[in-house]
Amino acid sequence: MLRFLTVRLLRAALTVAMVVTFAFVVLRMSGDPAQIIMGADAPPEAVEAFRAAWGLDRPLWVQYFNYFGAILSGDLGRSMRDGRDAIQLVAERIPATLALTLPALLMKVALGIPAGIYAALHRNSWVDRLVMIVAVAGFTVPSFVLGLLLVLVFAVQLGWLPSGGQESWRHAILPVVTLGLGGAAVLARFTRSAMLEVLGQPYIRTASAKGVPWHAVVTNHALPNAAIPTVTIIGFMMGSLIAGAVVVESVFSWPGVGRLLVVAVANRDLAVVQCILLLVAATMVFANLVVDLLYGLLDPRLRNAPKRAVA
Amino acid sequence: MTVLLEADHLLRRYATRRGMLGRPVDVRAVDGVSLVLEAGRTLGLVGESGCGKSTTGRLVLGLETPDGGEVRFQGDAMPPPGSAAWRALRARMQMVFQDPLGALDRRLPIGVQVAEPLEIHAIGNAHERAARVETLLRAVGLRPDHATRYPHELSGGQRQRAVLARALATDPALLVCDEPISALDVSIQAQVMNLLVELQDRFGMGVLFISHDLRAVRQVSHRVAVMYLGRIVEEGDPDAVLHDPAHPYAQALVSAIPHPGRGARRIVLQGDPPNPADRPRGCAFHPRCPVATSLCTMDVPALKRRPTDGRLIACHVAHGDVPAGGGVAEVKEAA
Amino acid sequence: MQVAVVTPPKRRVAGPPPLVIFAIIWLVLMLATALLADVISPYAYTALDLRNRLSPPIGLGGSLVHALGTDELGRDVLSRLIYSIRTSLLIAFGATIIGALIGTSLGFLAAHFRGLVEQAVLALVDFSASLPFLILALAVLAFFGNSMLLLVCLLGLHAWERYARIARGLALAAGSQGYAAAVRQLGASPWRIYGRHVLPNIASTLIVSMTLAFPEIILLESGLSFLGLGVQPPATSLGSMVGYGREYLTRAPWIMLAPATTIVITTLSVSLIGDWLRDRLDPTLH
Repeated sequence: MLRFLTVRLLRAALTVAMVVTFAFVVLRMSGDPAQIIMGADAPPEAVEAFRAAWGLDRPLWVQYFNYFGAILSGDLGRSMRDGRDAIQLVAERIPATLALTLPALLMKVALGIPAGIYAALHRNSWVDRLVMIVAVAGFTVPSFVLGLLLVLVFAVQLGWLPSGGQESWRHAILPVVTLGLGGAAVLARFTRSAMLEVLGQPYIRTASAKGVPWHAVVTNHALPNAAIPTVTIIGFMMGSLIAGAVVVESVFSWPGVGRLLVVAVANRDLAVVQCILLLVAATMVFANLVVDLLYGLLDPRLRNAPKRAVA
Repeated sequence: MTVLLEADHLLRRYATRRGMLGRPVDVRAVDGVSLVLEAGRTLGLVGESGCGKSTTGRLVLGLETPDGGEVRFQGDAMPPPGSAAWRALRARMQMVFQDPLGALDRRLPIGVQVAEPLEIHAIGNAHERAARVETLLRAVGLRPDHATRYPHELSGGQRQRAVLARALATDPALLVCDEPISALDVSIQAQVMNLLVELQDRFGMGVLFISHDLRAVRQVSHRVAVMYLGRIVEEGDPDAVLHDPAHPYAQALVSAIPHPGRGARRIVLQGDPPNPADRPRGCAFHPRCPVATSLCTMDVPALKRRPTDGRLIACHVAHGDVPAGGGVAEVKEAA
Repeated sequence: MQVAVVTPPKRRVAGPPPLVIFAIIWLVLMLATALLADVISPYAYTALDLRNRLSPPIGLGGSLVHALGTDELGRDVLSRLIYSIRTSLLIAFGATIIGALIGTSLGFLAAHFRGLVEQAVLALVDFSASLPFLILALAVLAFFGNSMLLLVCLLGLHAWERYARIARGLALAAGSQGYAAAVRQLGASPWRIYGRHVLPNIASTLIVSMTLAFPEIILLESGLSFLGLGVQPPATSLGSMVGYGREYLTRAPWIMLAPATTIVITTLSVSLIGDWLRDRLDPTLH
């Protein structure tokens, strides 16, 4: 188990290191990093000081390691718009984003998994068909279209809910529903196919042929096995807690990390973009790590085996 | 007789790991195999699966590079795989595979695939190639109109005939057949083997015939070599080896051939099938050998010529170094 | 005595189900619209008609002059829609092809050279799987600014790792025992092995993957354009039309609804065709 953990941690660290390298390379390719990070109208002596501080006059590989060191110590540059620390700017927005993505994740799990299981157990019933139709729609209707349709109906036509902003909990309803519906559809479709695959396995037929009651077959044999692939997709959804609301936050003018990212990209506020990039990568990698560990708990076979054969 | 192919103490190792961070274990798939094949003759290579006979075939073709020893083809050393000289040499040596359906591209008609070696080695113009394809198809017992068929439209035997036609397109001097009949129906096997003998008479290529089936090997070979765990344990005239096997392993192989009225004499081998990753010390066969002695557990027998008939045998007992024992318990090499 | 009449089973090629037929018709319609945009468009997509600003479509009190209504500047929604379809499809096609080319080439390289090259490709695959593509795309756009060419190349990177995985896996399978090993020992060059033999053999799997990636790219492009970070004015795409129409959601919802409907039906159509092709051509792919 310890080796399992070590290998996973090393892989996670490698991936984060690759993202940092990517940011470094892209930053170097896009122009003078001192000028870009400090902003075009920064005083020349400040730029010089920055250069000296970041060692931009040294060889590229030294710069590369310094860049790594700076990021490890939490120095991610300053926003060129208001000169504040990028990391602080981003951190301020995280609670607002989580206020959308956490309830949405709950909604996805609470709606999607039961719907998927029910559909699989009652294959070709009207519920199954409905779940499939909604699931296909969840994939083909982009979130900004769904969000705008909800605004059109519930804010513009019916006037029940506000169309945007962050004044009260009522403002959060439409964005949460927009995020949750799409994700629930994906999860339902995934759970359904995972269940159907498991239900077709010989051990399920064996169990029911032995006379095990059907509900016991489902709870003891089918659900634990179908849980394994489903955990992956939930892990991926957890990884997008911070980054998954970029479009929806823009639709509803919700001041979260996603909105900050869009504004920063539009203004080419590179320090902020880089900070969000690293934050998202770290979240995703962490979520993948958690999924891997959960895998080990759910599926004892995987505990000691390498995930991918080094062939 | 001119020597076509010489293999000298070939060694092929693979490193495998146990688990992700386990210690690498050295597996010797081929452990000091020497062969000589004369032009226009057939050498049969027999052994159970995992004994290294297919790896030997790939080594003599130069598809893999040996970790020790060397292969000389018509007197010249084998160029490194993938080099231009290596690719050009492919026109002189060809291979026939166990699974003809897998060896053929299912998206191209047979005629195109038979002509492909000619195209690759830029032999002849389009017209000459078409004529050559027709000759080849007839030579392997297919009709010229089979050229437009796709592999899945042919029977298993016809596919192997097509693979033979492709292999013979450039008129190679050496043909390595790796279990060419084991994927075919029993009724087809004899036909394909007869065809192979016929084709050898006509095209004059030397053949290395690899099989686990001693009888099949005898039918086509001028000499036969028996392999066990990466080494040749007995080599000689096919009829002589089949009638009077000298090595205990060869004796077991021969006794396993069903024979009317001789069922009682079958020798059933003891112990586990051999694992190249866990080679026994001394003679690799001793844990399963009914006549093993204590010498066999310590000293590796060399492949030596038997003075009486000149047959090559690697066995202390068969050479009379020690009297036959009664078998010994397994002594594994210290890990 | 009874004579058993044995009728040979008829070889029936099942036609596509009705929904797939609808999807094919819709897609052909979209392709024709994209190709013939200059001919069938009633107006130039930038032409202003200041007397008919925010005029509603037919059925909501509008006139035949502007069948799908106009926007705040009196630009014809139908004409803009037609040109948006052209832009979005062009980008999606270009990006899909780029992704397939890059992914397949890298997959083949990994399968051919093994060792370090393969490990590098697999590390890149892990890397792209670790970042949501939208975030990566936004970061690159922030660093490099915006241009149509960059946008197409960037979207081309979406899903490259899927092609790479497929190409590597299938090439390895063909190489170890199968036809690729056979052709290699005939003396064929790598170009011949991969171009003439492996590629045609895995083409159907790759094409299925392309039809599955295509709608995702349309959605990504429209998402970026909706955020104002994709296709830039005066050019117009389905996503940027929705983004623009959002400002007039209360007064002129048709500006947003026309492109939104087009996005949904088009992605739905391509997905339906992709699923159908997958079931027909390649039951192993899921």
